[in-house]
Amino acid sequence: MQKVIQTHAKAADIFCRDESRVDWHSKALWVLREKRDRAASSLPEWETLRALGSQIKLHTLRELPSYLEAFEAKCLSQGVQVHWAKDGAEHNRIVHEILSRHGVKKLVKSKSMLTEECHLNPFLEGKGIEVIDTDLGERIIQLNHQPPSHIVVPAIHMKKEEVGDLFHEKLGTPKGESDPTRLTRAARAHLREQFLSADAAMTGVNMAVASEGAVIVCTNEGNADMGANLPKLQLHSMGIDKIVPDLDSAAVLLRMLARNATGQPITTYSSLYRTPKPGGEMHVIIVDNGRSDMMRDKLLGEALKCIRCGGCLNTCPVYRRSGGYSYGHTIPGPIGIAVGADEDSTHSSPWACTLCGSCSFVCPTKVPLDKIIFHRRRLYAERKSLPYGKSGYMPLVGRFMASPLLLDTGMAAARVALKILPHSLLKPMSGAWGKYRELPAAPGSSFEGWVKKNRPELLVKSKGEK
Amino acid sequence: MKIALFTPCLVNQMMPEVAIATLSLLEKLGHQVIFPQGQTCCGQPMTNSGCFNEAKNTTLKLLNAFKGVECDAIVCPAASCLVAAKENFHEFDKSPEAQAVIDKLYELTEFLHDVAPVTQFNRPVPKKLSLQLSCHGIRMLDLAAPSEYMGPRYNKMEALLSRIDGVKICYPERLDECCGFGGTFSVDEGAVSAKMGKDKAQAHANTGADYVVGFDPSCLMHLDGTIRRRQLPIETRHLAQILNDAL
Repeated sequence: MQKVIQTHAKAADIFCRDESRVDWHSKALWVLREKRDRAASSLPEWETLRALGSQIKLHTLRELPSYLEAFEAKCLSQGVQVHWAKDGAEHNRIVHEILSRHGVKKLVKSKSMLTEECHLNPFLEGKGIEVIDTDLGERIIQLNHQPPSHIVVPAIHMKKEEVGDLFHEKLGTPKGESDPTRLTRAARAHLREQFLSADAAMTGVNMAVASEGAVIVCTNEGNADMGANLPKLQLHSMGIDKIVPDLDSAAVLLRMLARNATGQPITTYSSLYRTPKPGGEMHVIIVDNGRSDMMRDKLLGEALKCIRCGGCLNTCPVYRRSGGYSYGHTIPGPIGIAVGADEDSTHSSPWACTLCGSCSFVCPTKVPLDKIIFHRRRLYAERKSLPYGKSGYMPLVGRFMASPLLLDTGMAAARVALKILPHSLLKPMSGAWGKYRELPAAPGSSFEGWVKKNRPELLVKSKGEK
Repeated sequence: MKIALFTPCLVNQMMPEVAIATLSLLEKLGHQVIFPQGQTCCGQPMTNSGCFNEAKNTTLKLLNAFKGVECDAIVCPAASCLVAAKENFHEFDKSPEAQAVIDKLYELTEFLHDVAPVTQFNRPVPKKLSLQLSCHGIRMLDLAAPSEYMGPRYNKMEALLSRIDGVKICYPERLDECCGFGGTFSVDEGAVSAKMGKDKAQAHANTGADYVVGFDPSCLMHLDGTIRRRQLPIETRHLAQILNDAL
């Protein structure tokens, strides 16, 4: 699929043209937020868990090298092969090398945003290996030649009728079939064939437990387990940030992961893998791909506390009304801006946010998402690569606001204009404001003007004023 | 108490009625109010855009207006501006004089609820009010427990308003979802901002309330523009105006 480069605002503007679709998208995700609220409120210790979750992740990130080394040593002692990749290209090369050594023609994969980040599928397909994504949502968008639009519900942007049309074309379901149960059954039968004929399986990793040398994989469909348990060769790709010290800390995060994502107490299948099956091979590929660089900035580094529940996407009023594809990088929404803004060549994604802060309060590990997004904007300003003409007009706004004389006379003129000129004349000059809203009614004078006239005794001059 | 009024540029220039109501209600409550001259913008439009260099002079100008002013508290009827002023003052001036100003900064709701609590109102206000829980006020100033938070529930605006006879309080659906103003967001991301404003204004109107009441003039201005565009049967009022009517 050809990628169109456009700012978030432009992409969102296009998305917003179909208002009923925006309402539908916003509501579908808000339902998840409501389920999350019910699940979280059912645990009296929810806020304690969040504090603990944040501490566990922060602690592990601070001691990352020692936990990664302990994890590797434990893996090796259990016969698991461990690989290190500094970036996506190296990750893909390692995966291909393992697969080609085993003559793999077909790989079944269970959802992994990391392999999306590394663009593994097109790489392997280019080498003649068939890659089948096996989560239902992932499979839908794979058949539709699209990347995920959400990190937990990747096909949330598609209506069931659209899935029906797609399945009719690709899987031969009856034309016009849009019943979710019947479509799911068709997908299951199709995927069953893929599992049985695959030469190798690959999964992402929700958590890697240092003390056990184990990886934890969470799915609701059991597809990761079906994949990993059938062929002899299994691969697991993980970012360096996925490590946790021990099972107790994993348990804290597991209690929140599904609750915060979909409102479930726990994902239906939460499996630990720590040894190869008899006669088989198990590989873990540990990927950096920019994470160490992010950690050099203390605030950006906190984004690595994220456990990818998707809760921030579901609550984000901007994400819900602009869709996942508007962000210009692999991971959309608040966490996407936090970890992926550098991928967005228009530099606009950090501005796809009102700084409302809902994401930071929803986050189970207290990633300070709104602060990180705010910080990202400052980094762009320092690099002089601001979007929307800000580097041009902000200095003028700065000078205007810093001068009481300019501000007073300018605003007095604006009030007069609002009072005497027809708003139809002013609206085109007020840009997006007047396009969508009525202009404010103008008062006769400023408050300061009112005080000078009516209550001059209130006025004081500061000693600090120069 | 002796109170210095902090009226952010938007209130000063475009919504003087909010400042007049704030002055009036503080005086009715027995406080002595003064108005330091030379106040300007807190710098939020610039800092929220990442432009800290461009914000510096503006912010320091505002800070200087309060430096050395004798008072017990500096009170502001605009939550978002108050938060920005606090953070920006600290960012650009770390002197003890700046800290003295920062320590006295209060948002109006916070002041009337926490610092000099108002327990009694004299006049009934027989109106149904749909409360606008603006983001910065609830999530950065603790004016109410945000809906995402699972700890103890509190809401300082509701606590104040519920002491007024005749007032009926209600909330829109998705009660504390952002209204979509977001400063320059309303212009940079016009389509999404407008859609958020439309959804929020409609949710307020759906309650059947007489007024949308809030503590943040910028959100109210945004909602007002949307309400009038869509001709919805509801009006915006600042908390100060309702409280002033009840005193």
